[in-house]
Amino acid sequence: MRKLAAIVKRELIAYFSSPLAYVVLTAFLFVNGFVFWLIVAYLNDPRTRAMAPLRLLFGGTMYFWLLLLFVVPVITMRLLAEERRSGTLELLLTAPVTEGQVVLGKFLAAWVFYLFLWLPTLVYVGVLASYASIDWGPVAAGYLGIALLGLLFASVGVFTSALAKNQIVAAIFAFAALVVVFSVGLVENLVTNPALKNALAYMNLWDHMDDFAKGLVDTRRLVYPLSLTGLFLFLSVKALEAVKGR
Amino acid sequence: MIEVQGLTKRYFDREVVRSVSFFVPEGEVLGFLGPNGAGKTTTMRMICAFLPPTAGTVKVAGLDLAQDPLGVRSRIGYLPEHVALYPEMRVEEFLRFRAAIEGVPAKEVPERLAYVVERCMLGDVQRQVIGTLSKGYRQRVGLAAALIHRPPVLILDEPTVGLDPRQIVKIRELIVELGRDHTVILSTHILPEVEQVCQRVLIIDDGRIVADGTPDALRTGFSGLAAVTVELEGADGAAASEILGRIAGVEKVDVLPDGRLQLAVRDGKAVRREVFRAAVERGWEVLELSQSVPSLEDVFLRLTTREEAVAETTAEVSHA
Repeated sequence: MRKLAAIVKRELIAYFSSPLAYVVLTAFLFVNGFVFWLIVAYLNDPRTRAMAPLRLLFGGTMYFWLLLLFVVPVITMRLLAEERRSGTLELLLTAPVTEGQVVLGKFLAAWVFYLFLWLPTLVYVGVLASYASIDWGPVAAGYLGIALLGLLFASVGVFTSALAKNQIVAAIFAFAALVVVFSVGLVENLVTNPALKNALAYMNLWDHMDDFAKGLVDTRRLVYPLSLTGLFLFLSVKALEAVKGR
Repeated sequence: MIEVQGLTKRYFDREVVRSVSFFVPEGEVLGFLGPNGAGKTTTMRMICAFLPPTAGTVKVAGLDLAQDPLGVRSRIGYLPEHVALYPEMRVEEFLRFRAAIEGVPAKEVPERLAYVVERCMLGDVQRQVIGTLSKGYRQRVGLAAALIHRPPVLILDEPTVGLDPRQIVKIRELIVELGRDHTVILSTHILPEVEQVCQRVLIIDDGRIVADGTPDALRTGFSGLAAVTVELEGADGAAASEILGRIAGVEKVDVLPDGRLQLAVRDGKAVRREVFRAAVERGWEVLELSQSVPSLEDVFLRLTTREEAVAETTAEVSHA
């Protein structure tokens, strides 16, 4: 446990001592701020149907997904690829820590950084709360959904970072893999076979996030991202074991 | 302390390390000597449980590598060939991180930190960011990290490569000192380093151990022939070489351009005695009678140079 904590801590030091973290943070806040403004402006139009603005902010627009698909690979690309490129992996894996601890530590650090990115959006909630009454249940569920998506996306990013030695290649692979993970459920709308439609609906991340934003916490919506996260972390450990000496 | 049996590493159809076996008793400083690409680093990486061996067993401090790789790792302090450290961390931060992942109890960390900082002379850079340190300091930070958990075994892969002469001297002195409390394996291709630092040498070539012994034993025992140089007054060169060539143990006689004779001999001491006697019998005066033992360099070249590469290697050496 102490070893895992040390790895997470070191990774967080690395995040906050690199300019990349602040670039990502700034870009993230800028885009989210713009989207928030867009949503408020849209809902202020008397012709639009009344909706909870946070439901739109949390996965209700394409911006949310675009941002996530781009930002998570940038957060995770460095994790293992850079260790291998620079050779620090050799020193790390000759200490009495397992590949599993290394993967898990790096994954958790990336996830903590991802949550940190979302932290400032609490201000939006505060702004809304000061103008209108807010239903706190869906807000909490929405953040839960965001945290779950973060787990899933970060595990995919860790996996591609274990495979590639080059950070940029890792980021591009992660982006491509995440587009697949995100899009597979959307195919639901194109098929007519009921069994297939059901299966795809289970994997539909857009609906998944929309449910959370509505305040609906369904166990199926918890199991899917968590089990997929487990799978990608397992694959990351296997990949790391296979590539570490090369 | 370290027991290696039949250690082999194969990549596809290429064998990089071929059935290497050796034993290192507690407290010994063992040198791995060999040309680049001989398999030194791969062997060390396998002992440190970084690379899985294709075959063979390794025991460190009584623990089997295959059964307890983490136990083996925790008993080894490893300094890789290219000391790669996290450039964004401060020296102290990095050493604390290493202490934590090496499992040093939190209570002991300040004491261990103070010890390695003092030992590796890092006092004045403790708060500095690693990325701004010179190569010599980075090497010392790497060594400090290898020492932080009080490992009984130290494995150092080319610890002096890329350092300036003064830093090399300091690091070597440090390794000799560390050899008193630790069992050390050190790889190098610098021969004087081996003579200064190591009690025993393994010469590795093409993935195999080709020689094993103390530096002295290697020089005399494995070298084959020693050279005896003779300068005689009052002797005719051709006749003298004829007579000396008959002495038992002399393999070959050359007349040097300045008239001196050079004998290639098996047993230098007996031959020199006989040469002196022969000279006295014939009334020659002996102006010089000296023996040169081949250097470790010669041994190394002879053992590690394959036939086809001889010309190239000697050209390189004389060029250097």
